Amino acid sequence: MSSESSKKRKPKVIRSDGAPAEGKRNRSDTEQEGKYYSEEAEVDLRDPGRDYELYKYTCQELQRLMAEIQDLKSRGGKDVAIEIEERRIQSCVHFMTLKKLNRLAHIRLKKGRDQTHEAKQKVDAYHLQLQNLLYEVMHLQKEITKCLEFKSKHEEIDLVSLEEFYKEAPPDISKAEVTMGDPHQQTLARLDWELEQRKRLAEKYRECLSNKEKILKEIEVKKEYLSSLQPRLNSIMQASLPVQEYLFMPFDQAHKQYETARHLPPPLYVLFVQATAYGQACDKTLSVAIEGSVDEAKALFKPPDDSQDDESDSDAEEEQTTKRRRPTLGVQLDDKRKEMLKRHPLSVMVDLKCKDESVLHLTFYYLMNLNILTVKAKVTTATELITPISAGDLLSPDSVLSCLYPGDHGKKTPNPANQYQFDKVGILTLRDYVLDLGHPYLWVQKLGGLHFPKEQPQHTVIADHSLSASHMETTMKLLKTRVQSRLALHKQFASLEHGIVPVTSDCQYLFPAKVVSRLVKWVTVAHEDYMELHFTKDIVEAGLAGDTNLYYMALIERGTAKLQAAVVLNPGYSSIPPIFQLCLNWKGEKTNSNDDNIRAMESEVNVCYKELCGPRPGHQLLTNQLQRLCVLLDVYLETESHDDSVEGPKEFPQEKMCLRLFRGPSRMKPFKYNHPQGFFSHR
Amino acid sequence: MERPAPVAVPLGQAEVFQALQRLHMTVFSQSVSPCGKFLAAGNNYGQIAIFSLSAALSSEAKEESKKPVVTFQAHDGPVYSMVSTDRHLLSAGDGEVKAWLWAEILKKGCKEMWRRQPPYRTSLEVPEINALLLVPKENSLILAGGDCQLHTMDLETGTFTRALRGHTDYIHCLALRERSPEVLSGGEDGAVRLWDLRTAKEAQTIEVYKHEECSRPHNGRWIGCLATDSDWMVCGGGPALTLWHLRSSTPTTIFPIRAPQKHVTFYQDLILSAGQGHCINHWQLSGELKAQVPGSSPGLLSLSLNQQPAAPECKVLTAAGNSCRVDVFTNLGYRAFSLSF
Repeated sequence: MSSESSKKRKPKVIRSDGAPAEGKRNRSDTEQEGKYYSEEAEVDLRDPGRDYELYKYTCQELQRLMAEIQDLKSRGGKDVAIEIEERRIQSCVHFMTLKKLNRLAHIRLKKGRDQTHEAKQKVDAYHLQLQNLLYEVMHLQKEITKCLEFKSKHEEIDLVSLEEFYKEAPPDISKAEVTMGDPHQQTLARLDWELEQRKRLAEKYRECLSNKEKILKEIEVKKEYLSSLQPRLNSIMQASLPVQEYLFMPFDQAHKQYETARHLPPPLYVLFVQATAYGQACDKTLSVAIEGSVDEAKALFKPPDDSQDDESDSDAEEEQTTKRRRPTLGVQLDDKRKEMLKRHPLSVMVDLKCKDESVLHLTFYYLMNLNILTVKAKVTTATELITPISAGDLLSPDSVLSCLYPGDHGKKTPNPANQYQFDKVGILTLRDYVLDLGHPYLWVQKLGGLHFPKEQPQHTVIADHSLSASHMETTMKLLKTRVQSRLALHKQFASLEHGIVPVTSDCQYLFPAKVVSRLVKWVTVAHEDYMELHFTKDIVEAGLAGDTNLYYMALIERGTAKLQAAVVLNPGYSSIPPIFQLCLNWKGEKTNSNDDNIRAMESEVNVCYKELCGPRPGHQLLTNQLQRLCVLLDVYLETESHDDSVEGPKEFPQEKMCLRLFRGPSRMKPFKYNHPQGFFSHR
Repeated sequence: MERPAPVAVPLGQAEVFQALQRLHMTVFSQSVSPCGKFLAAGNNYGQIAIFSLSAALSSEAKEESKKPVVTFQAHDGPVYSMVSTDRHLLSAGDGEVKAWLWAEILKKGCKEMWRRQPPYRTSLEVPEINALLLVPKENSLILAGGDCQLHTMDLETGTFTRALRGHTDYIHCLALRERSPEVLSGGEDGAVRLWDLRTAKEAQTIEVYKHEECSRPHNGRWIGCLATDSDWMVCGGGPALTLWHLRSSTPTTIFPIRAPQKHVTFYQDLILSAGQGHCINHWQLSGELKAQVPGSSPGLLSLSLNQQPAAPECKVLTAAGNSCRVDVFTNLGYRAFSLSF
């Protein structure tokens, strides 16, 4: 077997040498250039199975030969070397076979790999193609969907229904034969019809508009005609007035007034009646009129049953709307407040004419929910007044009537029941609203016959004629004196601001002929500033410096001496005197707390004011007091005893005639002026 | 200590006038009744008010107890000085002295028992009477004031016995030196003069302003107050408050206070003085200031110690001046309360 195999082998070897050459010759077309041994081609020819068998056989042979060599080597002998050599050569041959087989295996592997690779590439290419196609399919599908979803605008128009269309459209539009079959054409036709209809309607609309314009113009013309009628009627009325006067029957005017008066609320009615009566009987300078809208007043008293039905419906509606709208709490409260402070639409106007042609206009309002009367005041003068700076508050509508009766400042509501009403709507006090609504003075309530007791609130306070009548005369007189005193002050302030104390000729006797001290400054001072001054503490503690008063500061100078006078002007001037507090700056600061004579000077103007009132009605009080202060300052400075230790002459030589310079334990100076002798003495 | 400004009460004309009067009132003089239970005070409007000290000091005193029991118009001018005898209240101011019976004074419509006017030299202006002094030994009354003389009036007969002249300007104050009946008078001319009542002559003159230690020229030279304790005299006013030794006419102690003093008195071992400024000053004889007790008026003109033996519970010091209030000090250290017109 081994010889066969070796024979086989040998020829194989030889053959293999030769076979490829033959193989090569057989395949000479492919490899004609060169004769080289291509094992790759040989791989295709051989059968792998047989090669595997050959491999196994070769390994077996090798093993056998090795075993034989081993045997021989172990036996030893002479022939052994040749035998071993033989066997060695055979083993080499086998090794060669193994090598070849190995190469072939590698080549086969490579080929196999290459084939796999090719196939894989092909598969990849197909795969890609498939993907591309799929993608295109998807894209096309999307496009198709889009196209299918497209809605044309024409579908949004509400077209008339088909039956109507065929009924109404003229045949050239509807084109029944074409459209019946073809929905596209049908739609087009319908659209055409729609357009046609719209055009016709637009035309109609324009016509109607122009019509409307015409008619409006006609209405205008007719209205003008009617309105021109009214003055003509008025002129007829006017023309009839002289006849009425000639016959002494001013019915018209009085009739009109009484007509409107019927619609007044009770307190205003009482006021109106009493004021008219007083004006006719006692005081020709008083005139009364009614202002406001009668229709609104009538509207307040609609018949109750009608309004209730309407109200229930409107309430339901309103509730719904409020639920939807939810107005803020503040807005609701504001509305409630406005409702609470509503005025009656009618008001009574009273004009008081004073002797110097100035007029006090009073307008009385009635606040319906609060049941109080308020008044707004205005002063007009015959000639235009130039208001001096310090007189700003004198005639202002807010304060001109303040404290007409003592303590009646008009900032609080006089009706105690109002407090409960205010709490409900969050109004603290009426003071915030007085500028708008007018002042609710107590005398106004009395004039309207409303009497509010101080303790408990009454449920109903009705207007009383007797109360009004008893107060009318006093109040009217007080009002007139108030206006005149304010106007007098107004004029005096104008002159005081220029540094001149205007003393009228009939008051000259109160003062000596020569007064050297001069008024230098006259300004208003705020209430808080007055309270802060260090020399006014006594007045403040005595409760005389309330916030209804007006405060001023005067500065009187002579040489190096400066006298500051803080003045409290009570609204009840001139029956209540102005109060002065002094502070003298001369060789130190002297006030009533450290100098008895300053105290005496204050006493001269504050306590002894009655002799300074001047002729009735006493409007000269303030200026006389100021002049007296100048005189007192003169006396003070001139009678100051000379300090022997200081050199130099006296700053103020004595010019006043005095009997004695000092008197009494407090060493008072002679402040009292005696007329007509013209000397100064002590009180 | 700020008091909050009171709320202005609605004031009519009458209330405003009354408030102004009270603000400008000055109480010049005080006098305690012989029973010690009442205090009379006179003001610059010529009114005298009688206060009940026992009611005001009692434990159930209310606000009304601090008001006068009765007020009446005594004089036309201010009531500058008052003294009490054991039955009468004598008041003087505008040149006349009037007497009122204490027993009748609390009744309404009380009229004076008698009135007297000393013989004045000038008739152009009626001079005021600034000081009254009782001389119990002689049962006479000494008046001094605007006409620069001291007049003595006999209380039994009502006649004016003497007129002591010597001052060159009007007289502020009088003091009695018990031992040798001498009267001291201090005046506007700056001199303190001692008069011997038996001889009706001027015994001694001390011109305070001429002594440099006590003179204060910027205040003037007038002597406003006097008090004497036999050998010693304290006087003050324009010049500084000074303690003098009378026999040697030397100033021994000068009290360091700048404000002019208007009333001074000896009390136990202290000297009490009051004047411009609202405090009563308590001085030791050595010149140290022991205490300064504030009152309620910005300036004080009169101090009165109620030492009547009949009413020991009413032993108080009362002070009055440039306001309508009379301060009552039960314990000298602080002001207990104020009576007011």
